[in-house]
Amino acid sequence: MDRRHVLKGIGAAGVGATVGPLAAPAIAQGVKTIKFVPQANLANFDPIWGTQYVVRNASQLVWDMLYGMDSKLQPKRQMVESEEVSSDGLVWTFKLRDGLKFHDGEPVRAKDCVASIERWSVRDGMGQMLRAIQKELVAVDDRTFKWTLAKPYPKMLMALGKIGTPICFIMPERIAKTDPFKQIEEYVGSGPMKFVKGDWKPGAMAAFERNKDYVSRSEATDWFAGAKPMFVDRVEWLIMPDPATAAAALQNGEVDWWENPISDLVPVLKRNKNIKVDIADPLGNIGSFRLNHMHPPFDNIKVRQAVQAAISQEDYMRAIVGSEDALWKPCPGFFTPGSYMYSEAGGEALKKSDIEKAKKLLKESGYSGQPVVCVVAQDQPITKAMGEITADILKKIGMNVDFVATDWGTVGQRRASKNPPAQGGWSMFHTWHAGVDTATPVGNIGIRASGDKAWFGWPKDDQVEADIASWYDAKSVEEEKKIADKINRGCMENVTYIPTGFFLGYQGWRSSLEGVTSGPLPWFWGVKKA
Amino acid sequence: MTDAASARVVAAPDLPDILPPVKARRGLAGFVVRHPTMAIGLAILAVMAFVAIFAPLLGTVDPTALAPAKRTRAPSADFWFGSDAFGRDIYSRVLYGARVSLLVGFAVAALASFAGLVIGLLSGYIRAVDGIVMRAMDGLMSIPPILLAVALMALTRASVGNVIMSITIAEIPRVARLVRGVVLSLREQPYVEAAITTGTTTPRIILKHILPNTIAPLTVQATYICGSAMIVESILSFIGAGTPPITPSWGNIMADGRALWQVKPYIIFFPAIFLSLTVLAVNLVGDGLRDALDPRMVKRL
Amino acid sequence: MSGYIFRRVLAMIPVMAIVALFVFSLLYIAPGDPAAVIAGDQASPQDVERIRQSLGLDRPFVVRFAEWAGSVLTGNLGTSMFTGLPVTELIKQRLEPTFSLMFVTLLLAILVGVPIGVVSAWKAGSWIDRLLMAVGVVGFSVPVFVVGYLLAYVFALELDWFPVQGYTPISNGLLPWLENLVLPAIALGFVYIALIARITRATMLEVLSQDYIRTARAKGLGERAVLFMHALKNAAVPIVTVIGIGVALLIGGAVVTESVFAIPGLGRLTIDAIVRRDYPVIQGVVLMFSFLYVLVNLAVDLIYTLLDPRIRY
Repeated sequence: MDRRHVLKGIGAAGVGATVGPLAAPAIAQGVKTIKFVPQANLANFDPIWGTQYVVRNASQLVWDMLYGMDSKLQPKRQMVESEEVSSDGLVWTFKLRDGLKFHDGEPVRAKDCVASIERWSVRDGMGQMLRAIQKELVAVDDRTFKWTLAKPYPKMLMALGKIGTPICFIMPERIAKTDPFKQIEEYVGSGPMKFVKGDWKPGAMAAFERNKDYVSRSEATDWFAGAKPMFVDRVEWLIMPDPATAAAALQNGEVDWWENPISDLVPVLKRNKNIKVDIADPLGNIGSFRLNHMHPPFDNIKVRQAVQAAISQEDYMRAIVGSEDALWKPCPGFFTPGSYMYSEAGGEALKKSDIEKAKKLLKESGYSGQPVVCVVAQDQPITKAMGEITADILKKIGMNVDFVATDWGTVGQRRASKNPPAQGGWSMFHTWHAGVDTATPVGNIGIRASGDKAWFGWPKDDQVEADIASWYDAKSVEEEKKIADKINRGCMENVTYIPTGFFLGYQGWRSSLEGVTSGPLPWFWGVKKA
Repeated sequence: MTDAASARVVAAPDLPDILPPVKARRGLAGFVVRHPTMAIGLAILAVMAFVAIFAPLLGTVDPTALAPAKRTRAPSADFWFGSDAFGRDIYSRVLYGARVSLLVGFAVAALASFAGLVIGLLSGYIRAVDGIVMRAMDGLMSIPPILLAVALMALTRASVGNVIMSITIAEIPRVARLVRGVVLSLREQPYVEAAITTGTTTPRIILKHILPNTIAPLTVQATYICGSAMIVESILSFIGAGTPPITPSWGNIMADGRALWQVKPYIIFFPAIFLSLTVLAVNLVGDGLRDALDPRMVKRL
Repeated sequence: MSGYIFRRVLAMIPVMAIVALFVFSLLYIAPGDPAAVIAGDQASPQDVERIRQSLGLDRPFVVRFAEWAGSVLTGNLGTSMFTGLPVTELIKQRLEPTFSLMFVTLLLAILVGVPIGVVSAWKAGSWIDRLLMAVGVVGFSVPVFVVGYLLAYVFALELDWFPVQGYTPISNGLLPWLENLVLPAIALGFVYIALIARITRATMLEVLSQDYIRTARAKGLGERAVLFMHALKNAAVPIVTVIGIGVALLIGGAVVTESVFAIPGLGRLTIDAIVRRDYPVIQGVVLMFSFLYVLVNLAVDLIYTLLDPRIRY
């Protein structure tokens, strides 16, 4: 706070006496606050109902989890003290830690967990699999609940501790009883921070204050696993729609931490000795060129292969991350690079751009100039950047591009339409998948190929579906890796979607903060402020 | 939009002559001497129009050609104005952008003037229409023009046509009000009443007696709308509701480059200079026209 | 007078009704699905459909409009689809920053614009006049966000005189409040300074050529008294008009200024709501804006009667 307060100077010179209170904000001495600029606005606050990442990132402060992933992506006990599984793998018994309390003072009981699991499982992919084989889910006593299944489910702990949205957060029973398709109205959890509802100004600010009654685990902090010690009293999320403004605010010390600086501004931040910059999420993201398999022209596999051949991942990645080479990697695969499932099997076509081959394939396909309706969201810098490259490349190989520049709200609606492109449907759109989701088939919705029931674009490939199903029964990592090769090859051959590359993002924070970690989410526990 | 407002005020301001008045001369030189502001404005506009029309011949490359490997280069012999975040040549984009920006400016001015003129004439002259139409215009006017444009853009897809349409709709009520005001003051004039008593038909009165008198204020208003439309287009691009990115306009070049203003200021700088010069020129022409068309408004001490 | 005010307020009702119907129909036919935005990328199409139903978006136009109009009449603007907060509450949160910004901007524009106009008129034709008016025309032609970035760079980052962004409520003290508003007000006010200066100059020129000014000068009044006591008072009506128009225009400009300076105002609330298709919020905000606009027009008309006793309603 070394700003030369111009106005205060004027005030002191005489005007001040007549203009009333000069006092700075009435913030009590000694309240340590982290001012954080998140990636997006916290527009709603129900992590089951709304599954945007930003909602999850805020919710982790307020609601605790039964299990938490560590940095090796292994689920570790969090609220749970111990679990037991019967020898046939059908009966799971969970026991909660002692002394867990919700923010309203009520203890966390087994029935709260049952209700929370019920609500979550309706909305989650793994939860739905569990529901399909669920016989009974009941609270045995205040600290114990039992889950009886019809079939063994080896990935149970992964389901309860997964990082991808929606996370199985534990809420009081009365809140968890809310219809999973309706929004909750009360924000009471048992996590390390409390939500300050009175300070919530959607689009501008959200605030959390330390939960003094939080009972932390004793193990070392490691992502969602272990202790979650809060060293500050308050965390403020300040929403800044303009990246240039956020950069200036960080340079000036008006905020402490910026979740997603755009890479072109990073050199400016690095030059400032009071700012530290590092990779935000080591698991990164995979860019997606999503094709509509239902309608011409992309119902024709030759046309899909033509586009696949033409694509230059380097162009896409440079458009997204700018000139920072450290921020991207080629990704001729559908699983997160660096994770054990990653495979490049069948990915030769994506390793270099071959316009001639693309033109040849397009000719063989019999493509006769049907318009390719590209629905591109302009309000998301990542999709906007990819859209520019796509328009260019499709024109280059001789396709007829109908570029629909619109916003994410419209893409979200339009991509659900199964109509032909000319009648309100679409041919392609861009999105991206978080690396934490694409690490395994669990959250990797993009590779599903169940036709009508698959994710938008409705690709159909029975072999890929069978391979995915076999992964859930796999007993060893070796076996899983083999399956990953098969899935990757199958998706490449069928061109389920086209990965446009693997990219990372930076985060930047003032050097007055200590303990900021790299991870799929910004973690506030363990962060100290000088 | 600001410019539009200034013209609505009855007593409009005038710009001082750059040169003191001398004896009247004929021809181009005479025009320049009599209307120096207008001459400067027209000259700038002529240059811009030239740039827009002959953009392909002025050493430009394809303004949409991407080259991500050559992104954000500073101005140099290869990239006269530098390159943007996708490696596109800013010089080419700015020159081609003149087409879109001028088109938006002039199309909005023409369309809003025409629609506003028709509505204003009818509601000013025909009492039965007046109440309803003016309430509707009040309603439209009370929605901030930028918000209206954003909502209209959300309605359909982003395109130059839509940008023109949404800014036009936002401007129509202002023109209609202006015209209606003029008509209301004219219809009580003795010569109009005389025409009515001699049995002249209503359409004829409107065409012969009313319309010609609305041309002067309308032309002035139109020039201000033209300038403001170009500014509004850049603001729409800033919000993300402007012309689609594959069609360069001064507005979306600036909007694209705005996050980088601290590191690559030239991305904003060049289109901003062109936009400012053009809007300035349009305003100068507007001021000049006002002085020329409506001598009563010229007030000198 | 009170009868006049009553009639004017009554005349507002049809205008507001037209605005309401227009905005509602516009949003109804606009594409975009708030349910898809809420559900996120991981949600299945079936989930999105269920959320849409729970938001009541599957019902017909007439039903939705009737329900909304009914609740508006009882003073209830509905609930935001995303936040679950009442729209009136969301608007209340945003009123102070936006009004503060508009107030400081107008004050600045008047305090700077009017003297510039007066001086230009007084020195009409001189180099000062030409310079001031040239600057004024430039003020018209630079987009507000360009001005905003430049101001933030020079006065916040380089000189460190003012904060880069944010808003401090006035309850935290007048100076902290003002400190946050100076740069945005200058950025937003640039255009209005130019506008007000031009209008002031033009009307002053007209007034200064009147006989009574010559009389005032003849009887030996000082130039300052002539300019500010006699001339300016009589030039006030068009100046007030343009200030009234300015309020409406400020609302539009505020959208951009609020983004550049991260001020949590109404403009950003509206843009956010449009992008997400948060229908109740868009409708509520637009209705409020048009109410404000009509109210400002009424206030301007009433000020006329104070300034010029010849005007009577």
